[in-house]
Amino acid sequence: MTPAYAIIYALVVCAGGAIVTLLLSKNKAVAGWLCFLATALSSFLAITAAGTVLLSGPGEAITIMELPQLGSSLRIYIDGLSAIFIGLIATIAVLSAFFSISYMEHYKDYGVARYYPYFLLFVAGMYGIVCVSDMMLFFFIFWQLMTLTSYALVRYEYKKRENVRAANKYLLMMQIACVLIMAASALLAQGPVTVGSETLMKYDFEAISHGLPGLLQSSSGVVIVAFLLYLIGFGIKAGMWPFGQMWLPAAHPAAPSPVSALLSGVMIKTGVYGLMRSFLWLVPEQAIESYPSAGWGLLIAALGTITLFIGTLQALKQEQSKRLLAFHSIGQVGYILLGLGACVALIRPGLQNETVLGLAAIGFYGALFHTINHGTFKSLLFFNAGSMLYATDTQDLNKMGGLIKFMPVTAIMTLIASFSIAGVPLFNGFASKWSIYVATILGSSVAKYLGICAVFAILTSAITLASFMKFFGVSFLSRTSSLVAEKAARKPLLEVGWMMQIPQLILAALCLVFGIIPIGAYQLIAQALHGSQQGLGASLAKMPLARLDGLAGIASADGSALFDPLVLIMVLGIMLIIAFIITRLGGSRKRADEPWLCGYAQDAEQHRYGAHHLYAGVKRYIRWVGGKPKPHM
Amino acid sequence: MIIYGTFNVALVLLGAPFFEGLLRKITAQVQSRKGPPVLQPYFDLLKLLGKEDIEVGENAGMQRFAAYLSLASILTVATLVPMGSSVPMNAAGDSILLIYLLTLCGIATLFAGLAAGSLYSLVGMSREMMAMMTLEPLLAVALVISSINAGSLRLDAVLNGAVYSHSLPLSGLIMLGVMLFSLQGFVGRLPFDITEAETEIMEGPLLEYSGPKLALFKYLQMAKLMVYSGIFIALFVPWGNTLFYPVSVIIFLVKVLVLVLIITLVASIHPRYRIDQAIRYFAGMFIVSIGALILAVWGY
Repeated sequence: MTPAYAIIYALVVCAGGAIVTLLLSKNKAVAGWLCFLATALSSFLAITAAGTVLLSGPGEAITIMELPQLGSSLRIYIDGLSAIFIGLIATIAVLSAFFSISYMEHYKDYGVARYYPYFLLFVAGMYGIVCVSDMMLFFFIFWQLMTLTSYALVRYEYKKRENVRAANKYLLMMQIACVLIMAASALLAQGPVTVGSETLMKYDFEAISHGLPGLLQSSSGVVIVAFLLYLIGFGIKAGMWPFGQMWLPAAHPAAPSPVSALLSGVMIKTGVYGLMRSFLWLVPEQAIESYPSAGWGLLIAALGTITLFIGTLQALKQEQSKRLLAFHSIGQVGYILLGLGACVALIRPGLQNETVLGLAAIGFYGALFHTINHGTFKSLLFFNAGSMLYATDTQDLNKMGGLIKFMPVTAIMTLIASFSIAGVPLFNGFASKWSIYVATILGSSVAKYLGICAVFAILTSAITLASFMKFFGVSFLSRTSSLVAEKAARKPLLEVGWMMQIPQLILAALCLVFGIIPIGAYQLIAQALHGSQQGLGASLAKMPLARLDGLAGIASADGSALFDPLVLIMVLGIMLIIAFIITRLGGSRKRADEPWLCGYAQDAEQHRYGAHHLYAGVKRYIRWVGGKPKPHM
Repeated sequence: MIIYGTFNVALVLLGAPFFEGLLRKITAQVQSRKGPPVLQPYFDLLKLLGKEDIEVGENAGMQRFAAYLSLASILTVATLVPMGSSVPMNAAGDSILLIYLLTLCGIATLFAGLAAGSLYSLVGMSREMMAMMTLEPLLAVALVISSINAGSLRLDAVLNGAVYSHSLPLSGLIMLGVMLFSLQGFVGRLPFDITEAETEIMEGPLLEYSGPKLALFKYLQMAKLMVYSGIFIALFVPWGNTLFYPVSVIIFLVKVLVLVLIITLVASIHPRYRIDQAIRYFAGMFIVSIGALILAVWGY
């Protein structure tokens, strides 16, 4: 079957699954397994579709319904870029569904009738948004499907007032975004267009793209307003500063952890998808002279830098586990926007100079690669936070400590995820951040501001490391807190069951695979670009993929920047062995003992150096960024 | 290349305690004492290797891992720094990898503090992270300016005095000043030895280590002296690097000697800064370095 039909079947499976889980919602376990089966089937269909597109090019578009009076048609068209996003949605959705089966035991007062049906429809909505090529009515339908279901999911624990407030804020911001995007499409739409044998409706993506060169010549002011509306609309969805702070930090902690993983890991990426489509794929190559790409690149890169800096500083202040992760989502979206902005800024000079085009391409690779990586490690982090919440019944990092003895598997998964987001080499975050740095540092010869953006991105990376050392260290390492000791006394093993561990293991393995073999992800993205040759995306697809002599390394097109993880593993491994040998040289003997606490050992809960006290010296100077931490709960 | 990498590692392992001993001897002379023999750090390390290895706290595994990571990470960085030859591990990565591997050295200390879990070690861990947060951008700006001037991020292009641009090298000279004024922070000596050798928090993250693992952390501190001097030399005073190998190594060691003398003299006449004073100081340096970056982008 063609990719488009596979996606349609996936949507049908999700809808059917929603009805079945609603009818059978009395039994939590049965509903959970049914939801997982429906999600697994739809993910299988979706990944088949994505794989076919990546291997053999974009499928044929299918038009299910045409409404010429409204200028819209339900036209499903899957090209390479959509395929990558479909793959991301499919993977995280199925893992999240599996995690939910045993996680929903945590909610003793709430049934699952308001969870599993909405979950399936939410996934269906996301598939629809990245596959439909309409920009008005059917975009609206799928957007509402995605938004209203996620509103219900954020509002799941409705007995807590702050969750209801968070859900309302989220709904308001998403509706504003929808209106802005539809207004932009209305401004840009010219009229129906006949391409080959099919007639595209007025509000179809390709029809708008056709009419754009003429519109850029005649009324470029209108185009600027429309693109600004796209930026703000999709930016609200992605969590860009200052709009992200208005809804993201409240909504993501309020939802159940598997849904938080989907919200942070996948849903905000649909905003990134929209930005990539409108700023790169919408503009035909011949219109490049009248398209002010330098200005848009500057705006997107500047907003990206501000987002990553402010978002991460706000995250440094947080002491609630999921709220900290939500602020970091804002920060990491800033990195993606910086990569995208560098690409947009460099693409016009790149059409005359191949080195610069290589830098624009690597900026785009970085943005898309970071999208995939952030989906992976942020979902893993939310699963970890969910496990911690399941075991200790609190999100407060100040009350946790010494969990590694009781939850060793979750601890190692959290460590891997923390290293990934902080950008430690050999984990996937480093490879994508490397690409963004290469594009910005070397691209500053053309766009002068990109070098400063790069330095702020490197500074923010150190701040991210600080925040995750706090997140991991204060909860898993450090001394056992009284809350943890109390929970451990009641249950012999605090570790979550194998059903919640398997999704974490799979995501951690993905983090390591993409970190050690980044060329694999680059090949994937190159295939995706090859299969989406439309607009300025076609120019990016022209750049050949640079390969290093080794098996897994990545390099820029002219070899001016390189990274080979396998050599690094070898060297680091040898040095670890040297360090180990040195400790064995003296023949010393080991002995276990208690830490020295000046005699105040046993009742040390009062002078616990917790999450609140860490980095107090820096927190004093960043009061101005906002993002007030929530009080202890 | 592998031979040069091995020589680098051997140079750091054998030479770092010597420079530390020199630092202690000269500090003593400045403070009108006799001081220990110059070879004392070698004896200290050998002694520690034979002492009892006490593993404390609830996270013994993490404590072990942090100790091994400390020396391993600084030795990996040593293979990325040209010490009288070209960059040995040029094929592994570029300047971005250098910045992040130096962060890995700091992560070892952070894990040490978290694994012990005592109040002092956590305070030390917090201060180490704050110092890392404010120091890392300075080195990053120096490497970025060099990359912009050289048009490449590869270490053999950047660690080659590329920080001086072809016209008036104003940004290079500003960065030279900034790095000289921050060198004490990078190598962790007075007035910026806020994390480790602190009598206020009883050595902070190293509090619960003894025996061979303490030897590894002491080795880290000594090796930092040589490796950061090596990076400084490669960035700002690389001349004489291309001569015949044994001669260039001797020139390199002489330059390290001069830098260690400067570090020693500054360290022996300064008290320790508080963490908030240090943060303000390095933030000021960061603003100056951003000014240098703007100049570099415009070609100066």
